[in-house]
Amino acid sequence: MPPKVDREKCDGCKAQQEPLCEQVCPGDLMTLGEDKKAYCRMPRDCWDCMSCTKACPVGAIETRIPYQLGYHLAKLIPMMGTNTITWTCIDINGKVERFRYVNRGRLD
Amino acid sequence: METPSSKTGLFFWDQGGRLGKALDLNWLLSKLSKTKGISCCSLLEDPWGPEGLSQVVEKVKKGELGRLLWVGRFSREQQGILKEKLAEEGLNPYLQEWCDLEEQGVCRDGLEQTARSNKALLLIQMCLARVRLLEPLAPVEIPASESLLVIGAGAAGLHAAVSLTNLGKEVHLVERQSGVGGKVASLHRFYPRLCDPRCGLEFSIQTLIDSGRARFHTLSRVVSLEGGPGNFQVRLEKRPRFVDEARCNACGECARVCPVQVGVSPDSQPQGELPGLPAAATKAIHPSLPMGFPMAYVVERQHCPPGCRECERACPSKAVGLDQEPREEELLVGAVLVTTGWDPYPLFKVEEFGYGLYPNVISNLQMEGLLGSPVEAPKEVGFIQCVGSRDERHLSYCSTVCCSVSLKQALYLKQRRPDASCYVFYQDIRSPGFQEELYQKLKDMEGVTFIRGIPSTVRPEAETGRLRLRVEDTLSGREVNLALDLLVLAGGMVPSQGSEELAQVLRLPRNSLGFFESHLQCHPEESQRTGIYVGGCSREPMGVAASIESAQHAALEALRFTGGSVLIDPRYPVVDKTKCDKCKRCMEECPFGSFYFDENEFPTPHLGRCRQCGNCVGICPLAAISLRNLTIKQMAAQIQAASASFMDGKEPTVFAFLCQNDAYHAAKAAVEEGFPVPPNVVFVKVPCAGYVNNALIADALALGIDGVLIGGCEDGQCHYVKGNQLVRKRSDDLSDKLQKMMMDRDRVRFVNLEIRDSEKYTAAIEQFVQDLRAMGPNPFKI
Repeated sequence: MPPKVDREKCDGCKAQQEPLCEQVCPGDLMTLGEDKKAYCRMPRDCWDCMSCTKACPVGAIETRIPYQLGYHLAKLIPMMGTNTITWTCIDINGKVERFRYVNRGRLD
Repeated sequence: METPSSKTGLFFWDQGGRLGKALDLNWLLSKLSKTKGISCCSLLEDPWGPEGLSQVVEKVKKGELGRLLWVGRFSREQQGILKEKLAEEGLNPYLQEWCDLEEQGVCRDGLEQTARSNKALLLIQMCLARVRLLEPLAPVEIPASESLLVIGAGAAGLHAAVSLTNLGKEVHLVERQSGVGGKVASLHRFYPRLCDPRCGLEFSIQTLIDSGRARFHTLSRVVSLEGGPGNFQVRLEKRPRFVDEARCNACGECARVCPVQVGVSPDSQPQGELPGLPAAATKAIHPSLPMGFPMAYVVERQHCPPGCRECERACPSKAVGLDQEPREEELLVGAVLVTTGWDPYPLFKVEEFGYGLYPNVISNLQMEGLLGSPVEAPKEVGFIQCVGSRDERHLSYCSTVCCSVSLKQALYLKQRRPDASCYVFYQDIRSPGFQEELYQKLKDMEGVTFIRGIPSTVRPEAETGRLRLRVEDTLSGREVNLALDLLVLAGGMVPSQGSEELAQVLRLPRNSLGFFESHLQCHPEESQRTGIYVGGCSREPMGVAASIESAQHAALEALRFTGGSVLIDPRYPVVDKTKCDKCKRCMEECPFGSFYFDENEFPTPHLGRCRQCGNCVGICPLAAISLRNLTIKQMAAQIQAASASFMDGKEPTVFAFLCQNDAYHAAKAAVEEGFPVPPNVVFVKVPCAGYVNNALIADALALGIDGVLIGGCEDGQCHYVKGNQLVRKRSDDLSDKLQKMMMDRDRVRFVNLEIRDSEKYTAAIEQFVQDLRAMGPNPFKI
């Protein structure tokens, strides 16, 4: 299922040529619409890698979980720290699990 | 600079024994001396005595200590002394850190001694985490040119240029018109002394010429500005004068033969056909306006009939060259002064008084011209105040001078024609400061009537051409009917014509009224672009005296970026190019426009333009920007150190980021003044609340800290324009995310704090702790 963009929040990365989600999307699916808000132009091609969700500086993108994994109540939300990523996993019954990982592959 | 040794010295100074009373110092010392990386940990008895610091100095000298952490209450002056003293021994001042346990409240809060000592240990460990990552820094020297650019050669610009040339600087004066002098040169008299303004201007011009350090660029405009403070590259576009300035001696032969009469008025407004007033008409070739300096004629080529070269033929010194082309000139200057001044508000927009329709309704600026001309002064004159000013349909502000101008004009009229009667129609007379004297003088003068009320109708009498006015005197409640010879409208000031274009070229922010933006209380002349200073009426409407004062203040500030070189504080931001993905958000949101692209198109802060507020650090979505002495890594390490629980397991912990300009002082004073600040909070100070990156808040929450508080200025008070608004927007976004994560969105809170808001700070923390208790522990707490 495709990433869903909160149009209120998205600021099109201040209408730069390439917003962060566009830069980071491995399938080159995200782009800016005419209203300067990001959208996924081929939702069926999305791999649900969540790169855009992680990269969005204003937290405007949410990845809907594919129905094979969970119905609409289920959610997977990343929160990016300076060197960590924190996942909140909510299943269809509303059960919450949280994980925290230290990023790998730091260049410094 | 080589990497300094990681051996850290930790020195306590227990001033007045306060720490000893509150904490178990021996336990702390023994605990800390076992910490990794600490090679010396001791309590100084009297650091300010003759031998007090000998052991520290000794160890630093031998190279046994590479970095220092001082625990205790060291005043800013004492910190300076320590920095200086140890710098002599070769220790970089940026390798020292101070940990004031008292300001964090460990001596006063309501904890048991063990818990207090635990909190103190945590606070020291936080500082140690930072000390481990400190880097030696040194100021950076950037070259600075010896010359300055003054844009706008009116009274403000000329006077500022005089001050600067007196100090030995080279000044380039850029003027759009054919001559210098600006609006002031077209005034007839100054108040309160009623002297001729040209006298001051002539004096300035003479001083500038004598100095040999001023260059006048007339008929010019700035078309581009590159580089930064100390080193601006300016490109000027110079329109042709069609007269060689070096050859022309203003003999006027050319004007005598010129066949074209054109109306030219210094205030670029239709002069109107005033009875008795000769139209201010000159030829297509005429002296420089407004006051004949530079002493060379100028041709208004657009008026020349095709093929006419009469002036060229007539000129005895072969100065006229009708084939001149526009040209460009490049300048290198250290700083830029903007004194572009004002234009009169276009009064034809105010329809009710018939300006532009009736010839004897004129503006106050035209009245200056009339008073200056030799024609007989009119007998019955009305002055309407606040025309278009303080009126939401036109100008929402007061231009501050128009009342005094009308008073002055009435006074001068009475001196020239004692039988004249003046009527001043006003809402309020605003005569600030000593100008009240002028008002009182006029009030007592015979033949000057003040009527509180604005005329409702102005109609010309068909047979005489005089103006018939109806006005209700709101003080007596009576209707007054008058017939006048002349009606003068006191219009307000608007930013001068070119200021919009100039704002684009200089990338200078303007306020909603079109004037150049600055921090009006603290840095009135500092624009939002470092190295560009705004003075006079380009910043705010003001009188001539105030505008000269303002321009000279701007000149004083601008001096900083001249003189060979400028030292830049090394706490500037750097972009981690391995992380940056060139999203350019820093370029967009830096309040001072300090970022530019380097050769690989990475955004790079310009050292001169940057004011080191750290807003870029907070803005960067990838946390790739760091201030050099307050890096993201250092801050993350401090947060990590703070995540160990210092409170009893059930009590919530709060991590606060406080703006060092005010919120930090409020917090510090709250402890000093004995407010019951809950012990649950530890804080760090940041240069501006806008420094706080969402990744740092996420770090704190993910590590189990229950709540994060950001203390920033009140709206509109931020010294860095809008750091507080930016961080609030970001923390709101994060709160929304927390809500989606099934956490309480209130775990991140922003509080507006002013410098003396100790009570508000205490209450905010109390409330926060209480709310956090109700929310329960952070779900990420292990």
